[in-house]
Amino acid sequence: MNQQEVRSYIERYFAAFSTHVVETHPHYLTVKLPVEVDKDIGNRPFYWSWVEKMNLPYQPMVLTFIFQPDQVGTDIRGEQIHFGAQRLQQIFQSAANHGRFVCMYEHHPAMLSALGPGARRSNPLTPWLGLNVKISLICDKKKDLLLYLGVNLYQPRVVHNFYPFLQRLQLQPSIPAYYYTQAQTISLGQAVGLLEQEINRVIQQQDSRWATEARERLHDELEILEAYYAELALREQTKDEAEQSDETEEEAVNIPVEEAVDENRLVVECPEDKVVEPVALPTSIDEVRAGGGRLLDFLRAHSIPETPKSKINQGEWKKSTPQEEKKRRMEELRWQYEPRIEVTMINGGIFYLHNMPPFH
Amino acid sequence: MRPVEVLLPERFTGLRLAPSAPQLSWSLPATIIRVYVHNFSLVLHTRMRKLGLALFRGCLDQSRLPHSSLSYHAGNRLKIQFSSFLSKILMIISSNVKLYAIYALSMLSFDPSQKGRFVLTNIPVTFDKTWLPSFTELIQQDGPWHKWELFQLAIEAEEAKAVSDFDQLQCLKYMSNLQPFPHQLQTAERVLNEMRGRAILADEVGLGKTIEAGLIMKEYMVRGLAKKILILVPASLVIQWTKELNQKFGIPAVAQKKEYMWRQYDVVVASIDTAKRDPHRRHVLDIEYDMLIIDEAHKLKNKRTRNYQFVKEIKKKYCLLLTATPIQNEMDEVYNLINLLKPGHLGHSSSFASTYVEGKRQAKNNEKLREEIEKVMIRNKRRDGGIHFTPRRVQSVPIELSPEEMALYEGVTSFVREHYRSEMGTFNSLALITLQREVCSSREAAFMTLYNMYQRTPEDSPLRPSILELVEMIKKIETHSKAAKTVELIKQINDKVIIFTEYRATQNYLQKYLSEHNITSVPFRGGFKRSKKDWMTDLFQNRAQVLIATEAGGEGINLQFCNQVINYDMPWNPMRVEQRIGRVHRLGQERDVFIYNLSTSGTIEEHILNLLYEKIDLFEMVIGDLDDIVERLHLSNSLEENLISIIMDSHSSKEMALKLDNMGQAIRTAKAAKTRSSLLPEAVHGP
Repeated sequence: MNQQEVRSYIERYFAAFSTHVVETHPHYLTVKLPVEVDKDIGNRPFYWSWVEKMNLPYQPMVLTFIFQPDQVGTDIRGEQIHFGAQRLQQIFQSAANHGRFVCMYEHHPAMLSALGPGARRSNPLTPWLGLNVKISLICDKKKDLLLYLGVNLYQPRVVHNFYPFLQRLQLQPSIPAYYYTQAQTISLGQAVGLLEQEINRVIQQQDSRWATEARERLHDELEILEAYYAELALREQTKDEAEQSDETEEEAVNIPVEEAVDENRLVVECPEDKVVEPVALPTSIDEVRAGGGRLLDFLRAHSIPETPKSKINQGEWKKSTPQEEKKRRMEELRWQYEPRIEVTMINGGIFYLHNMPPFH
Repeated sequence: MRPVEVLLPERFTGLRLAPSAPQLSWSLPATIIRVYVHNFSLVLHTRMRKLGLALFRGCLDQSRLPHSSLSYHAGNRLKIQFSSFLSKILMIISSNVKLYAIYALSMLSFDPSQKGRFVLTNIPVTFDKTWLPSFTELIQQDGPWHKWELFQLAIEAEEAKAVSDFDQLQCLKYMSNLQPFPHQLQTAERVLNEMRGRAILADEVGLGKTIEAGLIMKEYMVRGLAKKILILVPASLVIQWTKELNQKFGIPAVAQKKEYMWRQYDVVVASIDTAKRDPHRRHVLDIEYDMLIIDEAHKLKNKRTRNYQFVKEIKKKYCLLLTATPIQNEMDEVYNLINLLKPGHLGHSSSFASTYVEGKRQAKNNEKLREEIEKVMIRNKRRDGGIHFTPRRVQSVPIELSPEEMALYEGVTSFVREHYRSEMGTFNSLALITLQREVCSSREAAFMTLYNMYQRTPEDSPLRPSILELVEMIKKIETHSKAAKTVELIKQINDKVIIFTEYRATQNYLQKYLSEHNITSVPFRGGFKRSKKDWMTDLFQNRAQVLIATEAGGEGINLQFCNQVINYDMPWNPMRVEQRIGRVHRLGQERDVFIYNLSTSGTIEEHILNLLYEKIDLFEMVIGDLDDIVERLHLSNSLEENLISIIMDSHSSKEMALKLDNMGQAIRTAKAAKTRSSLLPEAVHGP
């Protein structure tokens, strides 16, 4: 996104929330945030919970976005906005949250004008499920594919590029006069099943060299690891006692002499000092607010306690055994290289259409 | 080949396998291969219905699969009649109706365009279906639906953020405040594409390792591959790193202060000494870090230290070790550092030693070792092409001392010599050496030392009068030729200037002297706290004309907005001279760098400058070179100690000049040898 695209995006975003524009200038834009937007991008959750708890009138936040910082004088206070800006990423997230599910009807101008005043509700609209998904191919690197799929819910079939097709139509959130909607012949679950099958087919058609190569790398690395720890075990066994005495350096750790490593023993006991008390991770503050809970209670319940001084024991330090080390390293390698594919939904909707998308 | 008869589950009857099931063969790499079958999916295209598709999915774990592991011996050409392989799979299908994808090593994926038409994808696929219930509910209640405009904006955002390519850097479009240099981009790309996110970044000082690390970090974040990131740095650099990541990269890094922060924040900068101590250690070791970055990693060269052990135990996916010190001194250090990153990459330490190490500092099998090291380490050097440095302009500024000043110099020098040789009973030699150096700098510096000496001698000591005599000489001096010349020089430069001196007394005096001549200046000392250093740098950049610094080091202080350096006095240690230059002559310096060396005629200073400037061309040398050269000299003592003994032990100025000359000659020879062998990698200097 270049600066122009960023600006257009932001303007459309604010327009979608009917935002009051305070000032618009070729190089910057000042807006007064509506409540919904403020909660998403204003970065003041505590303010909001306070205002809502105390039932106070809220002070809208005014933001100025600067698109050409080099052309704006120092008298204009605002934040520079560009593709990587934190605020724009928040706006993206906000758009994603508020643009998830839609239900739209096609309003076909030609058909409407052709109908006389006495026309009956006799024109059918076909129901479609539109689903936009992101397929992420992941190993130690990553690539995304976006698919814009559609399923005809009346005569089941799957089409690609459904969203680009929709963009060419006139869509409204209400049903046009003199139209009726055809009944769905398959359930939502079935339609999703079809889409899943289609997504699988697309995945199969992808060049899978990336995964093959990632597996080869993983395999090679695991092989090195096997060999290394096998040798280590062998050496540990025959380790010279004399060498041990050399190891007393000032900062040296007291390393217990390891017993010979049984290569096949995969299960190792977790050393005691690795057990960490479960620390509650805060769930979202939004949830607390939605549930009407007190913020203070939330904070008390979710704060991560400092370990009291008396419980801190610097003495308990134990080096991992070679087996533990190997196991950890193998997990790291799998984590890094193991190819996998994740399919996530961007958004979706039900569309009642007069026109039919081209079938590929 | 006969058609395969397979017992199919009921609902698949009618499907028949193609009679000409393909035969597959491929050669295997060495060693034993185990075929793990985790899960698999299978697509069948039958002859009768070309589009007929049967997709089996479900999941099986390894333990429940019969024949889940097969092993083959090395080097054999492996042939599997596909039909029999398939029949095995189909038998499994018939007994376990739910089945999914096959994981059977990399080789088991076949080109779908080939006649065989068997495609075994073996990559696990996860479908996110968490959205389905809420969508279903919306449909049932017919709303409330979202706006079409926002629906479109959501897609556009995803389109803008989607990673369209495996290899191309994506992070640049996210950063508006940063223009990386070509070598930094190349480094980032190599780490991502060749080293797979585990690397040692060992650029020479001033080439921007932090930028490279930031680029790599940002790239993984943008791709959604790294979220939880830990950056371990020396305590003095925590704030600087945090600031830089936020400002330059837009990475929301926080400096770790409280225990809860380990878990609360995704990108945490902390000092390794804090992190390794409880209660912090258990948090750090419990978290799985997508990425770990360690600055000044050469401090981890000893594998027996707690720091080393601690870093080794941190669970990490990607890992960057940053070091500026060429890890060439000890072969062991190379080994240990690489073993942190990729254990076993260089084999076991003793097999490493027998394969690569001849002596403590000598490598064998250079070529092979270099290859191995280059797989995990990147070292950009200043002399490599593509990194542009502005020229340096060096100028000696000779200063004639006034007769009183010369008398003081002579007086102090003979005083020092006399007592230094007389078996150092009365004074410690260090004080005498210091005095000798200081008298070249300023009378203030010498005065402080003389005063301290006087205090320490017993009241009836015969030395007291001779010290007092020197002090009297100082009092008589009214001119200060060096300071006067400096003022003249600054006025002539008429731009920002950094003055380096070795002594605090000189620094204080100069500050007073400059202000008397209406020149604004700020002091800079090693003892300042980090925040004060930053503040002084800031004052210098925005308010003052002159920065008077007593120390050149100070990790991470960048003064490249200034291009004028005055060496008010010459350190006896050439390394320090190099460090001084390195403060301003670094990446980002856009102008030529001017270096003025003040040299008082007829003093030791003149000799030293002569050695550094004319004999060894220090000022023309690339930063970092001197280090290598000194390394080659194989001196038993440091270069500085050698210089001290030459200066202090010489009986005449002629003798000193001769010895210094020899020293210069030796350095020049080493330098020439270095240039010849510069094809060898940094880390493995051969004999």
